[in-house]
Amino acid sequence: MSGNTSRWTRTLAVALAGISMATMSAASAAEITVWAWDPNFNGATMNKAGEIYAATHPDTSVTVVDFAKADLEQKLQAQLASGTTDGLPDIVLIEDYGAQKYLQSFPGAFEPLNDYIDYSTFAPYKVELATLNGQTYSLPFDSGVTGLFYRSDILGEAGYTAADLEGITWDRLIEIGTDVKEKTGQILLPFDPNDAGLIRIMLQSAGSWYFDADGNVTLADNPVFKAALSTYQDVVASGITKPVAGWTEYTGSFTSGDTLATVTGVWMVGTIKANADQSGQWGIAPIPSLSGVEGATNASNLGGSSWYVLSSAPNKEEAIDFLASVWGQDADFYQEILVNQGALGSLLSAREGEAYSASDDFFGGAPVWQGFSDWLGEIPAVNYGLFTNEADSAVVAQIPALTSGGDVDEIAAAIDAQVRQQVQ
Amino acid sequence: MPALILLGIFMIYPILWSLWMSFQTGRGMAFSFGGFTNIMRLTQDPVFLRALTNTLTFLAIQVPIMLILALLFANALNDSRLWGRSWFRTAIFLPCVTSLVAYSVVFRSMFAQDGIINQMLMGIGIIGSPIPWLADPFWAKVVIISAITWRWTGYNMIFYLAAMQNIDRSIYEAARIDGVPAWARFWHITVPMLRPVILFTTVISTIGTLQLFDEPNLLTQGGPSDATLTLSLYIYNLSFRFMPSFGYAATVSYVIVVLVAILTIIQFLVAKDRRA
Repeated sequence: MSGNTSRWTRTLAVALAGISMATMSAASAAEITVWAWDPNFNGATMNKAGEIYAATHPDTSVTVVDFAKADLEQKLQAQLASGTTDGLPDIVLIEDYGAQKYLQSFPGAFEPLNDYIDYSTFAPYKVELATLNGQTYSLPFDSGVTGLFYRSDILGEAGYTAADLEGITWDRLIEIGTDVKEKTGQILLPFDPNDAGLIRIMLQSAGSWYFDADGNVTLADNPVFKAALSTYQDVVASGITKPVAGWTEYTGSFTSGDTLATVTGVWMVGTIKANADQSGQWGIAPIPSLSGVEGATNASNLGGSSWYVLSSAPNKEEAIDFLASVWGQDADFYQEILVNQGALGSLLSAREGEAYSASDDFFGGAPVWQGFSDWLGEIPAVNYGLFTNEADSAVVAQIPALTSGGDVDEIAAAIDAQVRQQVQ
Repeated sequence: MPALILLGIFMIYPILWSLWMSFQTGRGMAFSFGGFTNIMRLTQDPVFLRALTNTLTFLAIQVPIMLILALLFANALNDSRLWGRSWFRTAIFLPCVTSLVAYSVVFRSMFAQDGIINQMLMGIGIIGSPIPWLADPFWAKVVIISAITWRWTGYNMIFYLAAMQNIDRSIYEAARIDGVPAWARFWHITVPMLRPVILFTTVISTIGTLQLFDEPNLLTQGGPSDATLTLSLYIYNLSFRFMPSFGYAATVSYVIVVLVAILTIIQFLVAKDRRA
C-alpha cells in the first residue's frame, strides 16, 4: 500500500515538474494562434509563413486552428459579443464581405496595423475594405479576382479561339453560348438560384455595389444594379445555363463536362486542376463586361479574405511582427504559396516574381497567374459596407421572380425595400 | 438553496435578460433601449413573415402526418402475432438516434438532381424529367417535411407503444367477443385510451416544429429564396450571419415563446373539452 502511495506521489511530482517546465518554456517562447478555414489553402499558406518566420525567430511558433468557415464566424461573433476575450486567437481570418461588419459592430476588438505595414504595396481595393475611420485593420491576403474559366477544347470545336473570348461583353458571351449550344448541343454555364455571386461579380466589375460609398441603400435607383439584374435575366432566358443546387452540384457540373464554363474567383483553379485528365482542355479569359454601363470593366472580385490581429491577443506584438515581416513584404513567400497552394495574394510587388510569369500546361500553356494579377490591379474598389449578407439574401429571394421573366424595375424595388427593412 | 441559486443563474436570469434584450436596438454590442421599435420592425419585415408562414406551414402539415403515422405503426407493431416485431420497432426508432449531419448528407445526395429518388421515379415512369428537389421552393418544403417525418415518427411511436402496453388486454378480448371489427377497436378503444399520450406528443411535436432549425439549416440553408426559412433559422441568421442584431433576434425568439404558449393552451383546452 505504502509503496503504491509513494509511487503515486512520485508520479504526481514528476507530472507537476513537467507542467511547470512547460509553463516556463511557454512564457519565454511566443505561440501565435491563428484561426482559419480550409486547411489545404489558408491553413497551408499560414503554416508555410510560420516556417519562414521561425527560421529567424526560433522561439516563436505559429499554430493554425482549423474550423469550417461558418463555425469560425459563429464562434468569433459569439465570443466578441459575449465580451470574453479568453480563448480568442492572436490572428483570425475574415472574409472580405464581413470585414466592416466586424470592425463596426465590435469597435476596439481588432488592432489597426497602419504603423507596421506599407499599404501602398497592396491592391487598393483590398486595403479599402478593411479601412475604418482612416485606420486599416487587415493584412490583405487571398484575392478573389475573377475570371471566365472555359473548356477550350469544346469551344474550339465550335470554332472559338482564346482571342474570341478576350475582353467581351455579356451580350457577346450569350451569342457565343447560343452558337456553341447549336453546334455541340452543350450548355455553357451552370447557375445556382440560391447564390447571388454572379450579380456581385457584375456589380463590382462596373464599380458599383449594393450600397453607395456612404453605405446607403440605393438599389431601386442604381442603373448598374438593374443592368446586372437584366443581364442575369438575359443569360438565363437565352438557354445557355443549367440550374444546380448547392456548391457540390455547381462545381460538379463543369468539372464533369456537363457545362462548359463558369465565371468565378481565381481560387477555383485548384478545383479545376484536380481533374488531371482534363489537362490542356481548359482556358481562362477575363470576365465579360456589362454592356452599355458606364465604368464597366472586365475585372471583378468574388470572395477573398484577409488576416486580422485581435487587440486582446496575448502575443499581439509577435503576431503583428510576424504578419508585417512575412506577409507584408516577403515576395519569395508569395511565389511559394502561389506554386504550392495556388494562392494569389494581394501584395503587388510579389507579381514580379518568376512563378507569376510561368505558363501552365493545364490551361493550354497560358501564363495564368500573370493574367489574374493583371486583372487584380484593375478591379474597381467598392465599399462592401456592413450588410452584404442581408442584401445578398434579398437578391436571392427575388431570383425565382427574375428567372421567370419578371419586371426588372419591380424586382429591384422589392429587393431595395427588403434591404432597407433589414439594415435598420 | 444551492439548487435555487443555480436555477436563478442558469434559468431565470437568461430568460429575464433576453426579455430585456428584446427591447434593445443597435448593431453588435453597441445597443440602446428602443422601446417597441423591434415589435414595429417585426410587423414590416417581409423575411420574418416568410419565416413565420413557413414554420406554421410545416407545423400544420408535418405534425398531423407524423402523429397519424406513428399511431398506425404503433398499432401494427403492438400486434403480438406480427413476426419480427422488435426488429421493425428498432428500425423505425433508429432515425431519431442517427447523427443529424450524417443523415442530412444522405438526404442531400438522395434528393440531388441526379440522385436516387429522381432516378427511381424516372425509372418507374412517374416523372419524365428530374424534379429539382432542393432548387424549387415547393419541392424543397416537401423534402424538409419528409426529412423531419422520417426522423421523428419512430420517436413518437415509442410513446404510443408504451401507452398501448398499459391498456388492459381484457377490454380488447371483450370487444372481439362482441364482434367489434379491428378498425372500430382501434378507433373506439385504442385512440381514446391514448388521449393523454396523444396530447403529450402533440404538444412536444408542436414545440419541436416551432423551433425547427437543423433540417433547413443542413439541407437547404433556408433556400431556395427563403422557401424553407424557419423562425429559428432566421434568429440564427440575425445573430450570426448578418450584422449581429441581438435585440431583434431576441424579439423574434419571444414570438416563438408566445406561439408555443398559445398553441399549448389551445391543445390543453381542446383535450379538456373532449374529456368533459
